[in-house]
Amino acid sequence: MTLASMYKTDYVQTLDQHSQTNLNSSWVNDKGAWMTNVIIVCLIKFFFGIVPGMSPELAWTMTTLTYNVGSYIMLHAVTGVPFEFTQGAYDGITLWEQIDGGVQFTATRKYLTTVPIVLFLLSTHYTHYAPFAFSINLVVTVINLIAKLPVMHQVRFFDINQKVESD
Amino acid sequence: MDNPILAAVNQTLQASSRVIEAIPGSDIVINYIKNSYQNDPFRVVLELGLAVFAVKYMLSKKYRIDPSHIKLTEKEIDELVAEWQPEPLVQPLSDIQRMELEKTQVIAGHQGPRPKMLSSGKNLLNLASTNYLGYINNEDIKEKAIETLHNYGLGSCGPPGFYGTLDVHINLEKDIARFLGTEKAIIYSQNFSTISSVIAAFLKRGDIIVADDGCNFAIQKGTQISRSNIKWFKHNDMADLERVLESIKKESSTSKKRPLTRRFIVTEGLFQNFGDIAPLDKIMELKEKYKYRVILDECNSFGILGKNGRGLTEVFNISPKRVDMIIGSMATALSGTGGFCAGSKEVVEHQRLSGQAFVFSASMPAMLAVCASEAIKILETPEKGNKLLKDMVDNAATFRNVVVSAPQAIEVSSDVGSPILHLRFPKNALSAAGITTRDEEKYLLQEIVDEVAVKDGLLITRAKYVENQELFLPRPSIRISISATHARKDVEKAAQAVKASFVKAISKRK
Repeated sequence: MTLASMYKTDYVQTLDQHSQTNLNSSWVNDKGAWMTNVIIVCLIKFFFGIVPGMSPELAWTMTTLTYNVGSYIMLHAVTGVPFEFTQGAYDGITLWEQIDGGVQFTATRKYLTTVPIVLFLLSTHYTHYAPFAFSINLVVTVINLIAKLPVMHQVRFFDINQKVESD
Repeated sequence: MDNPILAAVNQTLQASSRVIEAIPGSDIVINYIKNSYQNDPFRVVLELGLAVFAVKYMLSKKYRIDPSHIKLTEKEIDELVAEWQPEPLVQPLSDIQRMELEKTQVIAGHQGPRPKMLSSGKNLLNLASTNYLGYINNEDIKEKAIETLHNYGLGSCGPPGFYGTLDVHINLEKDIARFLGTEKAIIYSQNFSTISSVIAAFLKRGDIIVADDGCNFAIQKGTQISRSNIKWFKHNDMADLERVLESIKKESSTSKKRPLTRRFIVTEGLFQNFGDIAPLDKIMELKEKYKYRVILDECNSFGILGKNGRGLTEVFNISPKRVDMIIGSMATALSGTGGFCAGSKEVVEHQRLSGQAFVFSASMPAMLAVCASEAIKILETPEKGNKLLKDMVDNAATFRNVVVSAPQAIEVSSDVGSPILHLRFPKNALSAAGITTRDEEKYLLQEIVDEVAVKDGLLITRAKYVENQELFLPRPSIRISISATHARKDVEKAAQAVKASFVKAISKRK
């Protein structure tokens, strides 16, 4: 029988994924990407600071909110790859799960987990620990961090992004 | 009372605080911690928890998720290396492989209806090559080919998308589209990879293919590499096809969330392994009813079936625009090389970037493209084309009428009018002769092949398969390919010889 019928389909999917470099997820390992991440946070804070009538505390809270929501959408909500040479090997797999081919605790993953934590600590410091701001920051950061835990690899809630089972 | 322990602890604390104050930047940290306390212990615990989590995360070792990854210790690796024995680069041949190697005929000189054999020096009547309309020896085509060779040279220097497309390729695509009656066509330089590329260009994981289980190896590989869900239906059994389509419809209506998937029916016009024709009218009916698309592999029916050679769509009087993709071959009837996919403009243009064999293979040599164009032009002129088709059909009918007159020894699985004839031993005759395994059947068929080569001057062949990879391995057979340029008498004599040989072979074993 063919190789595909001897193993489960997951094996064939792994073969397809590793046959070429996944250009959709390999850029996160570049130093430039890490630097850009920090620069984007700074830019967000800067632009929120420019908005007239926004207090610094609100600016920090908005920065944390924007960064966490934005990075959640980019890393954990959008699935698949934008190009089509793998016969759909990455269908239903988010960018976070694609990084480094699914290996957990690599350097990039550790970095991407650190940034929201540091941002949270800074943000709570600069808002003088006001309870409302603190709770917003906490909730958003915790949701972002839970999504990055290795136990959540390919776990789906409420049928969001649910992978359709093959017949 | 001065407790010595208390005094010691006090001294340690003072010493450590002096050390901490000496560290540069320590006052910022101490300030931060003082600031952050803010009379809210609960929050501090939370933040401490976060910091601990961060540190634990940073210190974790990386590991892989997939369960099939095995980590071996050094000792295990050393053991495995020590006990490894190298296998020979080439396995020794089994008996049947050695037989196949020895008995394969080699043609000395050029291909044609009566080629000369290297081993015996005799000219045998060629019933093995797929030269259905006799274009291999056509003088007009030969002249055109030589002229093209002088103009264009031999190779085409690259893939079609990167300097490899010549005007003759574009002309061939136009000729095919005009001849078939579709909007456009795209050509591939190898027949086998055409159907695989087309299927892979339009299908991926999650899509559904319903395919005939008599389909040839190329189609099976195409469906496998497309990674889609394949459902097979019994060969040419329309009731079974309807059952499969119905079951898919029921499944998809009960599952909670089904994204938009593509659904295709894949079948062949004239089956390569059986020689029978697919009932295209019934398939089109089912396709309209269940909203599927159809890929029709006409490699063995383009240029062969139909009054003018336009293939299965002409036989059943169906507009070729209704079939979504018609795959055909220039390597069979047109005696050129490669294959094509004909369809609407969108179908063809999509393959210019997504057809893997189009993008990553060299385009066909100019002279073969010109040969195929010429062959189509000959088919289009009624006096020449219709005559060739009629001769081929008559020769096929002659051969078929002779071999079906011995049903105790020969089982013919081909339809009337098909130039591919698969001759097999009937199952009851085999069991009566005590032949149980596939290898024994192959040896017996090879005896027939050898005998007619020596005694009657015929070159015939067994049909060969990649046995360990075929999903539905067909029974061993002798495949006869009838050509239009054979004389009627020769075909009749050949048929009688083959029939006599079959009868003799099966009765000898009784």
